[in-house]
Amino acid sequence: MKIVVCMKETPSTEVKKELGTDMRLVRNPQDAIINPFDEYTIEEGLRLQEKHGGEVVILTMSPAQTTDNIRKAMAMGADRAVVVADPSLAGSDALATGRVLAAALQKIGFDIVLFGQGTADSNGGVVPSITAEYLQLPLLSLATKLTIDGETAVIERSAEVGYVKVEAKLPLVVSVSKSINQPRYPSMKGIMSAKKKPLETLTLADLGLAANQAGSAAAHDKVLAAESVSTQRKREIFVGNDGAAQRIFDFLSDNKII
Amino acid sequence: MDFTLSDEQLAIQQVSRDFAENVIKPRAFAMDASGEFPLDIIQQMGALGLLGLPIPEQYGGAGADFLAYCVALEEIARGDASVAITMEAHTSLGATPFLLFGTDEQKKTYLEPLASGQKLWAFGLTEPQAGSDSGGTQTHAELADGEWVINGSKMFITNAGTSMTAGVTVTAVTGVKSNGRKEITNLIVPTGAEGYVIGPPLKKMGWKASDTRPLSFDNCKVPQENVLGSVGGGFKQFMQTLDAGRVAIAALCVGLAQACLDESLKYSHERSQFGKPLHDFQLIQAKLADMATEIELSRLMYYKAAWLHMQGRDFTKEASMAKLFASETSKRAADQAVQIHGGYGFMDDYPVSRYFRNVKVNEIGEGTSEVQRILIAKQLLQSLR
Repeated sequence: MKIVVCMKETPSTEVKKELGTDMRLVRNPQDAIINPFDEYTIEEGLRLQEKHGGEVVILTMSPAQTTDNIRKAMAMGADRAVVVADPSLAGSDALATGRVLAAALQKIGFDIVLFGQGTADSNGGVVPSITAEYLQLPLLSLATKLTIDGETAVIERSAEVGYVKVEAKLPLVVSVSKSINQPRYPSMKGIMSAKKKPLETLTLADLGLAANQAGSAAAHDKVLAAESVSTQRKREIFVGNDGAAQRIFDFLSDNKII
Repeated sequence: MDFTLSDEQLAIQQVSRDFAENVIKPRAFAMDASGEFPLDIIQQMGALGLLGLPIPEQYGGAGADFLAYCVALEEIARGDASVAITMEAHTSLGATPFLLFGTDEQKKTYLEPLASGQKLWAFGLTEPQAGSDSGGTQTHAELADGEWVINGSKMFITNAGTSMTAGVTVTAVTGVKSNGRKEITNLIVPTGAEGYVIGPPLKKMGWKASDTRPLSFDNCKVPQENVLGSVGGGFKQFMQTLDAGRVAIAALCVGLAQACLDESLKYSHERSQFGKPLHDFQLIQAKLADMATEIELSRLMYYKAAWLHMQGRDFTKEASMAKLFASETSKRAADQAVQIHGGYGFMDDYPVSRYFRNVKVNEIGEGTSEVQRILIAKQLLQSLR
């Protein structure tokens, strides 16, 4: 089975995020990590491979040409990686991202494409569906469980009460929820062999796409303004001992804490 | 001079740090309280390849270099001392001698399961009456009918009695050399060998969840081929083993000292006295600065000793210096960490009280500080002769 895992690099969750004058996130390659949701996706890809054989290919697109995180995915166990690296990718919106990924996926070939449930930077959560649409293939979204039986993929997705079970034929696109598994640590052998694994770099031209079909040139949406959210804790100070216990009790019960 | 770690060393450091933080550290308090050997953690480390880092892939190891192993050990020690010493004793003392001195057959039989982390191995040198004076070894072995018959006892042996231990390498007197000195041979004793008795776990001040036992050999029989390397090669073998082991112990000490600094920084930020956080007091700042400086120095020393070792150059003096300074650094760091924590630091609920108990043995195990100073002085005085 050929499993392609779509992975994105996002800024570390420990680093303060900043917007540039172009209203785009300032991305420092040193602070890039594997999008935390994608660690579950890579894990799920590896588990599918353990069960059904075949290969796990990491697909990522990146305006910068950094490989640390791709090597980390390969240290976890992925067999090889394909990077669409092109300066014209900068500023791609979700539509352009789906267009580029779909073109790359068609070039690589696959039985199943896995996405994370979203990304820690923009968190639009729509790229899996856009990509599936470009590929004209079914999308099973937000899987909390994924099994493949012959030519059929079955997923479970959490619902308000219980879960729904959905199936579709291969080839298809699946986005996985972070409750689907517990990602493994890269093994020491995996780390030592990651550099020996093939890493192929493609440009937009290699995918038959023009520079204006991706990046800010093709973006349909534009960020006009953004502000950081500050959360203010609710605080009340009781002064004096008179009836203190009763006042604390009332406060807690008024706020439905007890 | 380039101090940058390679991509592989950095990745190994990062995984070790994450594993220590997420898996080991949350269990450290309970492990210390119960003294129970954390079998599941050690097995997970085995599966990840953390128990065979510097062993080549062809023997089941990860094929990383010696510095990568030390850097990983520092991170594991930052999580917990008991887990770190289990990893160190297994890798440096248990597995490495098979790589250096074992036959192809022995590498296949013994080294592979150790390097791939399925089994643990112990190294039995210290005896009840022979600690620093390892030449005073009394355990002896005689060849009879194609078998070694071993008699004697060993003391403070790490990893000898866990449920995943496959055996122990035992130093034994096998005769007298022409110069009148004892002929020492290392013998391979699998767990379960006839006459090999593993004593109950010893109760310790620290490193409580590591497996430390007395061993006795009562007409213990192993096949003639269970000699590691050559008959009479034992003394040279363990001296060589201990040299590299000291660099690893230095790395372990740096991890323990770093944990003391981590806690001290955190606490001095949280705790206020006289209306300001502790770290606003210059006397506390001085403690933090001294700790950080000594830790950095100790780290540089083990990096350099490891580098010399990887270059195939003589590193005996530097190994002793790194071990001596790093172990004393970890003791001072734990002492100051408790001091910064005040009364709370004396309470079991705070990790620094555990750290305080865990660091003392660093000045004793794998060569006391006194022995290290003798070894360093010996190297210095050699140039006068």
